Amino acid sequence: MHTPSRRSVLTSGAALAAIIAAPARLRAAPREIVIGGPAGAAKYFNADLFPVLEKKLDCKVLYEGTNSLTNLQKMQADKAAPKISVVIMDDPVMLPAASDGLITKMSASSIANLGKLVDGSVHQDGMWANYQRPWAGIAYSTKRMKTAPGKWSDLWDAKYASRVIVPSLSNTEGFWTLLAAAHLETGKPYKEAQYEIDAAFKKVKELKANLLNVYTNAPQAINLMEQGEAWMIGGQFSAYTLIRKAEGSPVDLAVPQDGGFAMPSGIAKVNGAPAGDLADAVIDFFLSPEAQIILADKAFVAPTNKGTPTPAGFPDPASLFAPDWAFVAKNRASWVDRWSKEMT
Amino acid sequence: MTEAALPAPLAAPSVDRERLAAIGFVLPSFVIIAGVFALPLVLLLGVSIVDANGLTLANYKRLLGTPYYLGVVWNSLRLGLLTTLIAFLISYPAAFALARARGPLRSVLLATLFLPLAASVIVKAFAWTILLRSDGIVNETLMALGIIEDPIRMIFTETALIVGAVNIFLPFMILPIYAIVAQLDSRYAEAAATLGASPLVTFVRVILPLTLPGIVAGVALVFSLSVSAYVVPTLLIGEKYPTLATAIAKAYLLAREPGFGAAAGVVLLAIAIAVVTLSARLSREPK
Repeated sequence: MHTPSRRSVLTSGAALAAIIAAPARLRAAPREIVIGGPAGAAKYFNADLFPVLEKKLDCKVLYEGTNSLTNLQKMQADKAAPKISVVIMDDPVMLPAASDGLITKMSASSIANLGKLVDGSVHQDGMWANYQRPWAGIAYSTKRMKTAPGKWSDLWDAKYASRVIVPSLSNTEGFWTLLAAAHLETGKPYKEAQYEIDAAFKKVKELKANLLNVYTNAPQAINLMEQGEAWMIGGQFSAYTLIRKAEGSPVDLAVPQDGGFAMPSGIAKVNGAPAGDLADAVIDFFLSPEAQIILADKAFVAPTNKGTPTPAGFPDPASLFAPDWAFVAKNRASWVDRWSKEMT
Repeated sequence: MTEAALPAPLAAPSVDRERLAAIGFVLPSFVIIAGVFALPLVLLLGVSIVDANGLTLANYKRLLGTPYYLGVVWNSLRLGLLTTLIAFLISYPAAFALARARGPLRSVLLATLFLPLAASVIVKAFAWTILLRSDGIVNETLMALGIIEDPIRMIFTETALIVGAVNIFLPFMILPIYAIVAQLDSRYAEAAATLGASPLVTFVRVILPLTLPGIVAGVALVFSLSVSAYVVPTLLIGEKYPTLATAIAKAYLLAREPGFGAAAGVVLLAIAIAVVTLSARLSREPK
């Protein structure tokens, strides 16, 4: 009978150890994290932001890009066993998410950059934070309009009959048309006008003759403006229009003299999120100057971290109005209903 | 041992065994249909008639008792009816042309019918907005032909919606009619002619009744698809033409009123079932 030599025992032992160790090596593969967020951001997130994030945190990002309300619906359906760890939604949708217990409070102890944001960026004691501030104004076709629209009232000008598109109130940016209408009808500053909804509806009805369409699908609206079919889109924002402009489309974004608006892009940790520690790290990254410099450069959004320089050409953040989103969130469904009845 | 265990080779299977086999074949599809389709529909109905205080018909009262929502129901019906009618008028002769075509021509015609099915409905709806815009091919052609002087607005109008919907759902009307027409025995028409029937009488009394099953199937398909379409009205006309499908999306996603959304879903389903049932009955009518 053949007696095993010392060498063959060692070789076999090493092979066995390698086999046993293999699963450990597989376990060391990057961890996965699901981030839910806007479909419109998917392109620049995937191209410019996630590669840096994945390298830095040694993880793999699975991005679910859809609109905020759909993500909210998904989170409600998956409340018992959440799949999304980090959610990126606008403030008016964060409000119901917070009150339904779908997102959880964050703290500066686990997310250091939370304490380094400009005033007004952290909401409900850390329930969510703004990682960027796109600005909204009037997007216009440079092919059709030689001079940029200067005032919100330009949207109502009779010479633009059937040339104007506005966002649906179902979209966050849909509120800007209503707010501008309230301001024009009452003559009051935005801060007071935002609560004058009857006046807003009175004025917005006068916009009917100029409306080509009311969009829920932003890419289609932008597309029509790029083709020159629509001349202006009221309430469009930088992270959409200026990206298209940078890609060579004949469009631009004007901030009217009576003032532009600040879009509320928030990020939050999902309650009971899988990979909780990784979720903290991802949120910290979004709030860091490293990520915000990329976003400002690629998506034309104002940074919220005090340590991030605001690029030249961006409007003064102090000049941008941020409304009472709690008031908007509370009333939006009834406004949508009213809009449908009065505008169709 | 083996011989004893074998069944009598020539004995016919008993009725019970036949029935058991039939049940065995039906069971998987029954389980899928019951679990995946019927159960959610029962749940949908439940959500529409139950609120925090118990049973209620409030959602149905709101939907069928307010002029605005009656308008929404009418918009859906109008979209379904106009799309189905126009699709039928185009499809019927097209199905005959397809059935009579031979060789490569038939392959080309079938390919033109099937290939668009591979493209997403979103792509097709987007394409229509390009074709119908003021400097799009439709306006340019009409101007070149001298039919219009200036471009007319076509996008985001009901005309655009119906044109787009007909184009998108057309194959679902042509194919069932074609399937019947292809099997039509030409000797029936010849026999009618021999007996002195004019072409019109032959068509009305012979051809049309024989192709009725195909028409009924096409109508049921196109109507169900167009009455419940969401993407097509959203992209081709937008908010100015609210339909039951867009009302359902708003109720669930925005207003967070699942009860009302479910009621709208039940009404939409009832409309579709009514049309399909009616169609099925029509096709069984004695000739």
